[in-house]
Amino acid sequence: MRIAALLFAALAGSAHAAWEWGAPLTVNTVQGAAIFPHLESANRQGVAVSGDTIGVVWEDNRDGSPQCYLALKPSQAAAFQPETRLSRGECYEPVLLALGAGRFVAAWEEAGKVRAQTVPGGTPLTLSQAGAAQVTLAAGGGKVFAAWAELAGRFHRIVVARLEAAGEGLAVRTTQGVEAGQPADEQGWPALAVTGDGSVTVAWEDRRARHTVPMASHSRDGGRSFAPPVRLTDIKSGSAPGGLGAGTGAMRPTLAPWGRQGAAAVWLDKRDFLSGYDVYAAFDSGTRRFGKNLRVQDSFGDNMAQWHASIIGAADGRLVALWDDARDGTPDVWLADWDGEAFGDNAAVPAAAGPGAQSDPVAAFDAAGNLHVVWLDRDEAAGTRVRYARAVRR
Amino acid sequence: MRGIRMAVAACMLWAGAALADPPKGYDFVGFDAGLAAAKSSGKPIFMYFGRYGCAWCDHTNKKTFSDAALKKLYSENYVLVYVDAESGRRLTLPSGERLTEAELGARLQAFATPLFVYMTPQGEKIMQVPGFKTVQDFRDYDRYVRGGHYKQKTLLEFLGGKS
Repeated sequence: MRIAALLFAALAGSAHAAWEWGAPLTVNTVQGAAIFPHLESANRQGVAVSGDTIGVVWEDNRDGSPQCYLALKPSQAAAFQPETRLSRGECYEPVLLALGAGRFVAAWEEAGKVRAQTVPGGTPLTLSQAGAAQVTLAAGGGKVFAAWAELAGRFHRIVVARLEAAGEGLAVRTTQGVEAGQPADEQGWPALAVTGDGSVTVAWEDRRARHTVPMASHSRDGGRSFAPPVRLTDIKSGSAPGGLGAGTGAMRPTLAPWGRQGAAAVWLDKRDFLSGYDVYAAFDSGTRRFGKNLRVQDSFGDNMAQWHASIIGAADGRLVALWDDARDGTPDVWLADWDGEAFGDNAAVPAAAGPGAQSDPVAAFDAAGNLHVVWLDRDEAAGTRVRYARAVRR
Repeated sequence: MRGIRMAVAACMLWAGAALADPPKGYDFVGFDAGLAAAKSSGKPIFMYFGRYGCAWCDHTNKKTFSDAALKKLYSENYVLVYVDAESGRRLTLPSGERLTEAELGARLQAFATPLFVYMTPQGEKIMQVPGFKTVQDFRDYDRYVRGGHYKQKTLLEFLGGKS
């Protein structure tokens, strides 16, 4: 028994050893029992690091309606600067992209359209034509791209635009539907990655198979045309015995560029339907094909639901998946490092674990490979805090 | 006027996405409309938390919700709400928080669909039960909820140990 306990302690210690965490900070300056911050967005892009500046975006209702906010922090500063409001009308699901040298592009849904703006400074630009939502951003090779879900007939379809950011200015250069024509069923929640060779990979939720399937496509010509969509999941659609249903559920794909030319995807997957959504991953090593699916969470997280999964990657091969689950009794934020062959033991983010509900992680690497994580710390009486912590690899 | 038009446009954004897989012939409505109807009628809410293409939802619809007497019982005595476990459609909780239907699943820690949630007319959760249920199960739950037994007993106690 003692040997087993020691072995467990050693294994747990190794899981925590990968990252050394700094003191957590609270990002939002206004909290209260009736104020509800959210970090939800397509591709879970609520934090970005541009040069020496960390930026965080979220939505809350402090002003009487859902609005989007941005807070910035110079990396050496002890605290975030007070947040500024990005939106004028009802705003949802903001995202943030680093341009470098302290500049960012923010994008969000406002009044039924998607908008983007360079920050600091800049003025909002409407990206979509028809009703649209769930915008996401990506950059690589000096180019900036946005993707969103836009109404086309009865359903939404995925649209990708190439943007040009110069100084405080932002302009749309091209806008292209991933597929021509109107969709056969709902599409949404796109994720984007610009890989090392300049290809643009886009993944999204798709209901054409009469259940939700994460699908992906890519463009090798800067977003002017896209390859026919393929499934991210390696299980087929199909009814259960008796002709019941259409297939298992999967949702909220996220993407990250990974290695020299590759991309990694992570999503929530209910193929094991008795334990809620699990975190699954797939890799494209540069062939523009995603391979076999891998389960990300370890065995200690098997018998419960995972939520809010995302993946961040870097050109040197670093790759981290994050999510929240309640394996220790209450929701905590967990992460798993890719070791080159598999995702490692799950480690809780120390400041985002323990009593109470810590959930909804978003994360980014900086240029030096440090990990920046933002999450929600929910307290029904005191109000929800948007929390931040930075980690350096040991 | 422009502000109202913009707000209406925002509310309508996902209106094109139809309810995914509620049982046929029932008057299921979205969460916000259901909460408003429950407050005005005083009826409890029966929320069906389903998933598009879900086999067990399909099975429950065909085996259980096809029962005409059950349909009458629930249609007359509950406000029927359908929530799609993977939808980005927005709803407003009684607390005033706006979130997506999928996010409601995270808050409920929903691990399987279908999930059935009974709520007071004010939107407070009474109980949630996951998975396939029979006509008799739903009759038992109805007696437990509308009889007010949930105020004194757990469901298991009320059912005499029968799960």
